[in-house]
Amino acid sequence: MKKLAIIFLLIATAGCKDFLEEDPKGQVVGTNAISDIAGLESALTGSYKGLLRTWARGFLTSAIQGYGMGADDISTISGGNKADFREIDQLNVTSANPRLFQIWSGCYKTIQGANNIINNYQNVAGDPARINAIVGEAHFLRALGYYWLVRGYGNIPLITTADFSEDLLTIQKSAPAEVYKLIEADLQKAETLLPDKKRDPGRPNKGSAKAMLADVYLTEGGWPMKDVSKYPLAAAKAKEVIDNKDLYGFDLVPDLATLWSGSASATGTKEEVFAFQTSENFGGSTNSFYGLPAVPGDENGWDDYLAEITFFNNFPAGKRKDVTFHTVFTKPDGKKVPWQQSLAKHPYYAKFRLADNTKFTSSMPVHMIRYAHLLLVYAEAQARTDAAPNAQAYAAVNAVRKRAGLADLSGLSKTAFIDAIVDERAWEFAGEWNRWFDLLRLEKVAEANANKAADDLKPIGDISKSNYWYPAPIGDANINPNL
Amino acid sequence: MKKNYKLTGKLRLCLLLAGLLLWQASAWAASVRGRVMSEKNDPLVGVNVIVKGTSTGTSTDGEGRFSLNVPDGGSTLIFSFIGYVSKEVPIGNESEINVQLVADTKILSEVVVVGYGTQRKSDITGSLSSISADQFKEQPVNRLDQVLQGRAAGVQVTNASGSPGGDVRIRIRGANSINGDNSPLYVVDGFVGADFNNINPDDIASLEVLKDASATAIYGSRGSNGVIIITTKTGKKGSMQVNFGARFSSSEILKRMDLLNAGDYAEMVNARAAATNSNPVFTQAQVDDYRRTGGTDWQDEILRKAGGQEYQLGVSGGNDKTTYLISANYLKQDGIINNSDFRRYSIRSNISSQVSDKFSVRLNFTGTRRENHNTSGTGARGSALGQAFAWAPTTPVYDATGNYTYRDPTGSIFENPLALTTDADYRTNRSIVNLIGGLRYEFIPGLALDVQYGVNYINQQDKSYAGPLISSYLPRAGRSSGEQVTLQNTNSLNYKKIFGKHSLDIIGVFETQKQIGESFYANATNLTYPAQSYNNLALAASNLIGSGYSKWSLMSYLGRINYAFNDRYLLSATIRRDGSSKFQGDNKWSVFPSVAAGWKVTEEAFMKSQNVFSNLKLRGSWGLTGNQAINPYGTLSSYITNVDDAGVAFTSGYFTNGITNGIVLGNPGNPDLKWETTEQVNVGMDAEILRGRVSLSVDYFVKNTRDLLLSQPLPAYIGGNNILKNIGEVQNRGWEFSVDADIIESKGFRWNSSINATFIKNKVVKLASASDTIFAATEFVMIPGQQMAAFWGLNYLGTWKANEADEAAIYKQKPGDAHYQDLNNDKVVDSKDYQVIGNGMPKTTLGWNNTFTYKGLSLNVFFQGVFGFDKLNYTYANGIVGSTDVRQPTFAAIKDRYIPGVNETSDIPAFSSAKENFYTQSTRFLERGDFLRMKNISLGYDIPKALVKNVAAIRVFVSGTNLLTFSKYKGIDPESTSNGVGDIVQNIDHASYPNSKTYTLGLNVTF
Repeated sequence: MKKLAIIFLLIATAGCKDFLEEDPKGQVVGTNAISDIAGLESALTGSYKGLLRTWARGFLTSAIQGYGMGADDISTISGGNKADFREIDQLNVTSANPRLFQIWSGCYKTIQGANNIINNYQNVAGDPARINAIVGEAHFLRALGYYWLVRGYGNIPLITTADFSEDLLTIQKSAPAEVYKLIEADLQKAETLLPDKKRDPGRPNKGSAKAMLADVYLTEGGWPMKDVSKYPLAAAKAKEVIDNKDLYGFDLVPDLATLWSGSASATGTKEEVFAFQTSENFGGSTNSFYGLPAVPGDENGWDDYLAEITFFNNFPAGKRKDVTFHTVFTKPDGKKVPWQQSLAKHPYYAKFRLADNTKFTSSMPVHMIRYAHLLLVYAEAQARTDAAPNAQAYAAVNAVRKRAGLADLSGLSKTAFIDAIVDERAWEFAGEWNRWFDLLRLEKVAEANANKAADDLKPIGDISKSNYWYPAPIGDANINPNL
Repeated sequence: MKKNYKLTGKLRLCLLLAGLLLWQASAWAASVRGRVMSEKNDPLVGVNVIVKGTSTGTSTDGEGRFSLNVPDGGSTLIFSFIGYVSKEVPIGNESEINVQLVADTKILSEVVVVGYGTQRKSDITGSLSSISADQFKEQPVNRLDQVLQGRAAGVQVTNASGSPGGDVRIRIRGANSINGDNSPLYVVDGFVGADFNNINPDDIASLEVLKDASATAIYGSRGSNGVIIITTKTGKKGSMQVNFGARFSSSEILKRMDLLNAGDYAEMVNARAAATNSNPVFTQAQVDDYRRTGGTDWQDEILRKAGGQEYQLGVSGGNDKTTYLISANYLKQDGIINNSDFRRYSIRSNISSQVSDKFSVRLNFTGTRRENHNTSGTGARGSALGQAFAWAPTTPVYDATGNYTYRDPTGSIFENPLALTTDADYRTNRSIVNLIGGLRYEFIPGLALDVQYGVNYINQQDKSYAGPLISSYLPRAGRSSGEQVTLQNTNSLNYKKIFGKHSLDIIGVFETQKQIGESFYANATNLTYPAQSYNNLALAASNLIGSGYSKWSLMSYLGRINYAFNDRYLLSATIRRDGSSKFQGDNKWSVFPSVAAGWKVTEEAFMKSQNVFSNLKLRGSWGLTGNQAINPYGTLSSYITNVDDAGVAFTSGYFTNGITNGIVLGNPGNPDLKWETTEQVNVGMDAEILRGRVSLSVDYFVKNTRDLLLSQPLPAYIGGNNILKNIGEVQNRGWEFSVDADIIESKGFRWNSSINATFIKNKVVKLASASDTIFAATEFVMIPGQQMAAFWGLNYLGTWKANEADEAAIYKQKPGDAHYQDLNNDKVVDSKDYQVIGNGMPKTTLGWNNTFTYKGLSLNVFFQGVFGFDKLNYTYANGIVGSTDVRQPTFAAIKDRYIPGVNETSDIPAFSSAKENFYTQSTRFLERGDFLRMKNISLGYDIPKALVKNVAAIRVFVSGTNLLTFSKYKGIDPESTSNGVGDIVQNIDHASYPNSKTYTLGLNVTF
């Protein structure tokens, strides 16, 4: 018996040598994760995910509309539950605003993923064309993230590493000039690295990078950079894409109704110079700003966002107005209510309605740059560069107007032409995260908010440049006192 | 022949009882009966009574009575009981034998279980509370938390969720760790790290709560949260004893919230529209109609009276060498929310055998199956209860087509409360097997080797289904399968010796433990045939799969020396060296020592002349314990890989069902992580006065936890997530008192009362982050000097009153709007005005247990009190502000709001668009959570022996749980929370699943 006990004890203590080693199988850890092309590709997908995580962060909820709600095209309900949208609309923003944080955290998560690729791809061997495409997309995504941040927040932490270090917790903010420098450099790299054809509908190609660079240049011409030397660059870069639209696969969708059909026909179109794709089959990847968020309470909707009355009244009648707005609401009992008599007394956006509007999930695209946008960038930049708009500029804007059901422009002065383009942009991209950025670069926030209709929400307090940039989110500001 | 007949009779009884039927009285041999009393004429319960030279025996019941059939040849009864001198009594021709047992002064009361051994209770130098099965037999307990609740000083039990089988928070002397689990370590029959959910309280023989470092340091890196040692029952030598119990219960919600009726609601919604420049939602005709019909009471729709049943059957016995106990238990408990229930099946078999004088073997087997159905979640805004407070009373349950109304046109944006209960099917089935085998060999008297192996196997199957109505018509289902194996080996060498006035007890142990967990899951979205639920996941628009693996291991060397001189001066020292796979390099190993000393004052000569104290002992201890507050691989930088968080659709979901999965940077690793260490000092006193009628224990402790493993949130601008660091210090210090008194003992009437109280101060001593402030959640902040769960928010000053219009205007507000303290006086109320507004962690807990007995009747009344904490009542906030997902207020209190010109004194803001009126993170919704609750009252009756021939004892009882609660808290239940069982984030009530009122009827039969 004694022997038996001792044998047991010996068995128990045998094989102790590796007993305390970690065994992280099943974990993707450290830099090993991106040692080959498959890993690099996975990390790139993860970088996209920064902006594409429904509800948690990014562009897949009406936070994307919220980011520009201070503009005159879009607003929310005056009473009720939309306080966080309302404070943006009324230019009375607090640092705790959860909708703005979705954009901030989404952009930075994508930037972190892109940094990881840009700083580590050198260690990966393999097909250079594939690696170029991956790295090109990473530069493109980083530029996109910073472009959204710098316009919304102005001075921001400029992070180019994916790795944590203590000093990042107290990093100082960088001025827009430094941020724009990185954005330009990234897009210039992206346009050389990316292929002519998109690898998938939800990725950029060379033309996408050029188009975004053109847009960035145009923005840099206005406030706060006011670097007019960027206008000719914007015009030239936009022209490169327009002149090669077949190569890159871009064009206007002939019928606006197709673009806003709220169904499959509106996705993966040639209009998408760059768009993120979504899937309602996956809760974390579904597009949740179409459908219920756009639907009025009269139709059991969520009332997240709606159209402003003055903007609606000034919007030129025609095909585009019909497609853009939803003005007669059908109550659950079948009764029709015109917007004037509706609960919120506002027209709503038809653009973001789905075939089935009892849903808040869809596989609709998130347009970042439509071809129409590129045309109008060109038209404005060319007009600002030269003494007068040229024929190609007129052709560009008139292509957009024609589709909208409007007459051609002709014979305008330089200033009148530019004003017409700015209006055209407001109408064409109504509700589409364009107008607020235009008001900022053109310093027209006060002007645009001056003519509110009686039933529109009005700004709280006087408008100054302090309303142009959002305060850094409270969570980050709590950690880093330098924000 | 006689013997055989008797056995078959008993077996038949077993079978009949198992079938819940009557039994047929059968002829028994002539028997001996009697009663066993102490010197003080108290009945002694559980005394072994054996017929000498046979395996026939029994034990005494709750009144000290026994009855026994004497087999042929039996002539003497042996009465034995721990702590008493055994007695042999010849039977002769007596049919009734009454015996008095004398306390064994040498043994001096009972032996208690300590880590890796036992010790005389009188020799204990550490701080330890014992609970025996006797203490809770009066109450309908079906889980360990109910055994612990209020019965031991220093132990705090909170039923965070009232769902059947729901979450419970158990803490010993507060919470030390911010990142780690602060639950105590459970040791069941020597198996370290057991799950208390799997223990059938009927199987518990004794339970020891180890509190100070002297007691817990022997568990080293896992000891800092305190240790609960459970010893299960074993068979007793003697003839087979059968025990059967049955309980039936009915539960209902503690109380209901006062919600608006449909008419008031419709008027309120219109009034709000008018105040915020919107058109009315309801016509006057509709309002009148709602007034007439009353609308929908959503609480009625989802709540119910819930039934429960529990059956227990135990068989035990043994002969000279081998004892056995086999017990089985079945519990079924329905939830008070529609379509939720919990079942538990358990079986245990404890067998031990003294093979020879020197060698013994033992095997304990436990099998448990737990089935949860729709009980998950501690309640939340999106839960059925949350939605019952959110859906408009004007919205009917069913639409015109007879289906559940899909969307609420006025109130909530979430799903129909009733659909949330019926269109959901969430199941977690766990099957657990625990095997403990051991052998013991005594080389020479006093020197023994003990080798024990333990295997714990958990198989967990999760099934989930969310039907069309609660998934936006994208019905989804999932299955997951997990397996966890824990292996433990413990080898100990123990030497006990008494040399003259010196008594020595030494133990040395080598122990290893490792755990491997593996999991696999598959989910499907947009099921082709929703009716197939989780049973055919392939037929769906999209699928995802995943799998995982995790492993950790721990290796330990430990030892203890107990030394006593002259039975007066006690000294104890322990040491444990632990190595863990979770850390790297030199940080893998750490040493945890402790020392303690005790002085039995009453043994001194100078105390012999006094007669105040029959016993007085002073004790003190110091020691270090640890907490492995990290998960495996915590030192490594891992990527997030699950599809929801890492998958991207590069092509629209309209054209493909697939998704491209990627990797997203997760928490950065920190290779320098090391153990958290808790240093604890304890001084205490145990005393008995009035010749043992009153006993008293007092302890004072200080616990300092350093190198706190803290998950520090990282800013979103570097990708968010958290990094684990060893930073900061937390202190818990406090007092524990427990008093046990036999208040009345006269003419058969007895009142025993025991009170325990704990006062704890928890404090963050320091943090090492840049700003010395860490946000554990939006609502909670950690700041040195404050307790760990400090509420963060605005200070609400009521509404701006009519005469404050000018001041309100500075804040762009007007009278009737919410007025907050502008802390920094910058004329803007924003994040800079947030401050610590309350404490989520209770400071005082109280337990008061009373037992009144008179003849066969016993009444038990048990109170539990928790004091000194705040609750953030988001249930109320959501029900009254009308914001985000709850678009309109639903609580009747909204009728008392500020209405310009009508009611200008109210502090409930007027209807307006001012954003301040929608802030919820403020003192406006913070309430005191203090409560005193009559946790249990039960009345039991032992049916007189004369009425139940041939049965040892029949006891019936009725009991009520949570019948009375004294609290100013406005929510349903001050005890339940929506944050699970964490410590840093606790006591937010957001439609948390409340505890229920329960009535139980029970029966126990022993024969």
